[in-house]
Amino acid sequence: MTSRPRSKIGSHLLPGLAAVALFAVITAAVLTSSFGSTQGFPADANIVASVGRAMFGIPGADVTGESFLVAFILIALALDAALDGSLLLAKREEDGSTVTLLADGGRRLFGRDDADEEGED
Amino acid sequence: MAAFDFAPLIVLLPFTSFFVAVAAAIWRPNILPKGGALPGIAATAGSLLVSLWVAVEVLGGGRTAETVYVWSTGVGDAPELVFSLLLDPLSALMLLIVSLVATLVHVFSLGYMNDEDETGLPRYYAGLGLFTASMLGFVVAGNLLMAFIFFELVGLCSYLLIGFWFREAGPPSAAKKAFLVTRFGDYFFLVGVAGVFATFGSAAFAGPESFPAVAEAALTGEASVRTFGFGTQTWFSVLGFLILGGVVGKSAQYPLHTWLPDAMEGPTPVSALIHAATMVAAGVYLIARIYGFYALLPTVLAAIALVGGFTALFAATMGLVKREIKQVLAYSTISQYGYMMLGLGAGGYVAATFHLMTHAFFKALLFLGAGSVIIAMHHNEDMWDMGGLRKRMPVTYVTFLAGSLALAGIVPFAGFWSKDEVLYEALVHGLGGSPILLAAYGMGLVAVLFTGFYTFRMVLLTFHGDPRTELARNPHGVGWNVKAPLVVLGVLATTAGFLNMVPVHELLGFPPEYLHDWLAHDGGRSAFAGLTSEHYGELLHDWAGYSTVELSAILPGLVSLGLALLGAGGAYALYAGDDPEEHTEKLGAAKTVLYNNYYQDEYQVWLTDSVVKPLSRTMDTFDQGVVDGTVNTVSSVSLFSGRRLRRIQTGVVSNYAVLLTLGLTALVLVVGVLGGWFA
Amino acid sequence: MAVPPSYYLLLSAALFCIGVAGVLTRRNALLFLMSIELMLNAANVNFVYFSQFWGNVTGQTFSLFVIALAAAEVAIGIGIILVLYRNFDGVDVTEATTMRW
Repeated sequence: MTSRPRSKIGSHLLPGLAAVALFAVITAAVLTSSFGSTQGFPADANIVASVGRAMFGIPGADVTGESFLVAFILIALALDAALDGSLLLAKREEDGSTVTLLADGGRRLFGRDDADEEGED
Repeated sequence: MAAFDFAPLIVLLPFTSFFVAVAAAIWRPNILPKGGALPGIAATAGSLLVSLWVAVEVLGGGRTAETVYVWSTGVGDAPELVFSLLLDPLSALMLLIVSLVATLVHVFSLGYMNDEDETGLPRYYAGLGLFTASMLGFVVAGNLLMAFIFFELVGLCSYLLIGFWFREAGPPSAAKKAFLVTRFGDYFFLVGVAGVFATFGSAAFAGPESFPAVAEAALTGEASVRTFGFGTQTWFSVLGFLILGGVVGKSAQYPLHTWLPDAMEGPTPVSALIHAATMVAAGVYLIARIYGFYALLPTVLAAIALVGGFTALFAATMGLVKREIKQVLAYSTISQYGYMMLGLGAGGYVAATFHLMTHAFFKALLFLGAGSVIIAMHHNEDMWDMGGLRKRMPVTYVTFLAGSLALAGIVPFAGFWSKDEVLYEALVHGLGGSPILLAAYGMGLVAVLFTGFYTFRMVLLTFHGDPRTELARNPHGVGWNVKAPLVVLGVLATTAGFLNMVPVHELLGFPPEYLHDWLAHDGGRSAFAGLTSEHYGELLHDWAGYSTVELSAILPGLVSLGLALLGAGGAYALYAGDDPEEHTEKLGAAKTVLYNNYYQDEYQVWLTDSVVKPLSRTMDTFDQGVVDGTVNTVSSVSLFSGRRLRRIQTGVVSNYAVLLTLGLTALVLVVGVLGGWFA
Repeated sequence: MAVPPSYYLLLSAALFCIGVAGVLTRRNALLFLMSIELMLNAANVNFVYFSQFWGNVTGQTFSLFVIALAAAEVAIGIGIILVLYRNFDGVDVTEATTMRW
């Protein structure tokens, strides 16, 4: 049987009230602010071509924008790094032991435990 | 000026021998023949030769005060700290004395240490080398800070050497006592050095920038110095007293004399070195070195004279009853340095220097002679176990007798001329309008009587009469290495006084007073004019108010000679027979008091127990309670709050997210309220 | 008839707060990733709207970058979730509390 998310009502939803509160204050902020009029794009402007030109810093766009060439290269590198990183994280050792990354703060390595922390509560 | 170029070698040669001995002791204990004595002898003999060369150069009018090494240039107007050489007649004379005595002590050590198969000889010779180097460095020091550094090194070496036999019970304790008592004095000296720097901005001894010169200019109003709210004269006196603290500790003056008799626990050649040329001499030499400063301060001079006179008498009385030969010599040392202080305080700069020189020779002689006796007696030092050694040790006897005659001040041996001159200076300045010096003179004069007595008691008990024990009947023989230094020093102890025969000069007009001439002139170099006895005489007259009366030197000389002979005669009458009685027993309670050194040790221990310890305990309580309490409170508060605050680090990412969200909400709220939502 | 600016902003805020609520109430790491995607897209809505508002394509272009970054973030996030699964035998984020105090 497949498991799928089910709505459950309970105290675990209590932190969600923080999100509601956040929405309330943002709404209050938005509603108490005044905005100018929307400028909009010219009716005959070629928006997609303009986005493409902005992305590579090519002049001659119908709608102006800043050049994102450097950002583009950086994003390309970031995506590459993320891909490599995800592969690294997902990789399993040859002999079947757990992955290279130790996410337990080194406790298994050094035999440290929370024993010295008990009794504090 | 070639000799002055080699002058640093005087210090560096013994220093090198120290390093050689240490290196040998660490890596190849048996590589050095005679346990390291030979490099030491070679080094000190080399120092002696260079010192002679320097002395010849100085005799020809050469003087130098040069900077050897700057070790702190100072920021802004902070003073420069340097090592500098000062070679003038006083330091040249002292160099000769120190290097000569050190050489002889090294040679004597061959007999006293090597021939007795002592262990740890490289350590011993390393100590001797460093000791000699430190004292020579102190002598040539051109400024007060450098002098202080070597002063402390001398103290360290005395600690190392007094405690040489550290496996026995007595020496380590004696070494600690010597170290701590002199350190107590040096503490004041250190404050004084800092005070001199703060006041004058310079601690040099020679030249127009030197602090005695600046002090003189400040008193005449030609220069201004920082006096920290005191009157100029008052503040200088405070500085003078502070430096005097170090002198009193090192030169074993009352009340810091208690370390010196205990220091007899060290090997006898070391005692000779400490008492004749190095450690103890350092204090007196320091005053002589900066006499241009002390000559401005009548209060300090009077205190020096009184302390000196009192110490001379006080120590002499304690020497009357001792049983051990080295103890008698120890108290005679304290007493004789009292005379030097008396001489300096009474304005007799030349006299005190003269006595420093003759005392170096005859006291080294006496200690080495005592060492020879101790070898012969298989390290039994009790004079009541001796007797009759005269016939079995003729060389030791004759030289020891020469030293004793010099110590007692019998004409024409060296001590007579110098002690007589010290007393004469005290008398003429005392009669010339400084009556307080007469009190010091009186004490010094009485001490002459006691000196004669205890000296000849010692000689008679040791060498005369019948042997009282089997040891004394069959003494151990001594070799050339013991006899040779004794002979050299014996000759010097007999003749050194001819350098400066004031009464004879007065009577016959010749021979010249060589030492007066030696110390009086600046050799035509005006930069050194402030270091001459002529200049000191002017200062004493102008500032300390010392003036002299016309008085023949012959009559006071005869008085002190008479007293010395009386003391010696008393000793002869009491102890001359074949089998002398222990007359000290008849003194009763007085003997007990004297034998226990006036309970000075007990008094100082009592002072420590009843004053210093409660004070320290109070300070400890304050420190533990208030200072540490504050620190502990701060730390426990932060520890406690840290222990509580870390609870928010639950490790559950949702909780962090809640906090973030609430934080953002609060931020928006704050911005909103500030932006006027409810306004 | 133009839509008033506050509508866009409220839409964006609602999207964002739904994402936040997801992060706050869910314990499944995969749902975390989806919620974060919601928040990123709330930002994109704003970008695109303000691009129109100022008559400038910078916002639109930037929203493309945000989408690319979201892809990178998901790649890393999935990797982390895999590690989480191996180390704690599950994807419940409240179980992984070994990095507390």
